[in-house]
Amino acid sequence: MKTRITELLGITYPIFQGGMAWVAEHNLAAAVSEAGGLGIIAAASAPAEVVRSEIRKAKELTDKPIGVNLMLMNPNAPEVAKVVLEEGVKVVTTGAGNPARFMQDFKAAGVKVIPVVASVAMAKLMERSGADAVIAEGTESGGHIGSTTTMCLVPQVADAVKIPVIAAGGIADGRGVAASFMLGAEGVQLGTRFVVARESIVHENYKEKVLKAKDIDSEVTGRSTGHPIRQIRNQMSREYLRLEKEGAGLEELEHLTLGSLRRAVIEGDTVNGTLMAGQIAGLVRKEQTCREMIEEIMEEAERLLHR
Amino acid sequence: MFEKVVEIIREQLNMQDVDIRMETSFEKDLEVDSLDLFELVMALEEEYDVEIPSEDLEKLTTVGAVIDYLKEKGVEE
Repeated sequence: MKTRITELLGITYPIFQGGMAWVAEHNLAAAVSEAGGLGIIAAASAPAEVVRSEIRKAKELTDKPIGVNLMLMNPNAPEVAKVVLEEGVKVVTTGAGNPARFMQDFKAAGVKVIPVVASVAMAKLMERSGADAVIAEGTESGGHIGSTTTMCLVPQVADAVKIPVIAAGGIADGRGVAASFMLGAEGVQLGTRFVVARESIVHENYKEKVLKAKDIDSEVTGRSTGHPIRQIRNQMSREYLRLEKEGAGLEELEHLTLGSLRRAVIEGDTVNGTLMAGQIAGLVRKEQTCREMIEEIMEEAERLLHR
Repeated sequence: MFEKVVEIIREQLNMQDVDIRMETSFEKDLEVDSLDLFELVMALEEEYDVEIPSEDLEKLTTVGAVIDYLKEKGVEE
């Protein structure tokens, strides 16, 4: 399928794999890119040299374009941006903030910059700052979320900007992709479905939780902190919500979740770890290779769009 | 200009009932997040016919800072 996104990035399918902290490392990103989508390495809060090594390892696995997700709230974002430039990465997605301060350097190096946006105003400002596309991410997503739904956000952003829009949040199959295109998107970003990919290094226990999740198992913590996070409910989320309800301060809450994503992803602690996943986890039912997933999703989407 | 800027803030952020002064901080006093700030910037641009590049957003910390910024941009009233 050709869209402005596949043309812009030189990829076969307009499917991005979300920049999920701990999850989106070189194995997953390379597998998605190799299958024709855009694999993305999440810099998250990793040291710049770790990101460099992830980029190099991914490049050993595929010659196709790979992106890096830059977490702007992270104090080391400038160093990571430098590594991205030095390693010749050609696509950067940005989360948690305003990438304006890096835009000039990226543009000068020919890096395509694609910020994640959660509102129309943000999308417009990003377009004006020189963004090549925007990812309109609805609140259905896993991890850090905004408050508007994908269904409402995508068409409004698509109306507001001329650059291509990538829909994210709540998409896990061909129906979601086709619906996104109907809403005006020219690409999609999936996270939760790729968590259970065969190439994903996520611990089996975590994958099992995603595969078994039901539609109502999604929970949002941290609304009181201004940085809400969506996950699959477990003891950790219940404990967090209890503290929040009691009016616990930021420090206490942060102490509780310190290292909790790593515990879930790497150690497979599904009790005291944070099982970040989107609302669509209930739809994700099987572990497949990235290629199987992408081909199945696109085949279904094309069939629906041409019906 | 102060009255007009306050009016825009009240209108954009639906804060009719909040005390807003020159030294009022968006983040600390009004608990405005980055998305709200983007809305505010769009409204200010429209009202004063200026362009506020997104790299300047971090300068706009207080109501007074917004007014100083607009004056620097040549806005008089």
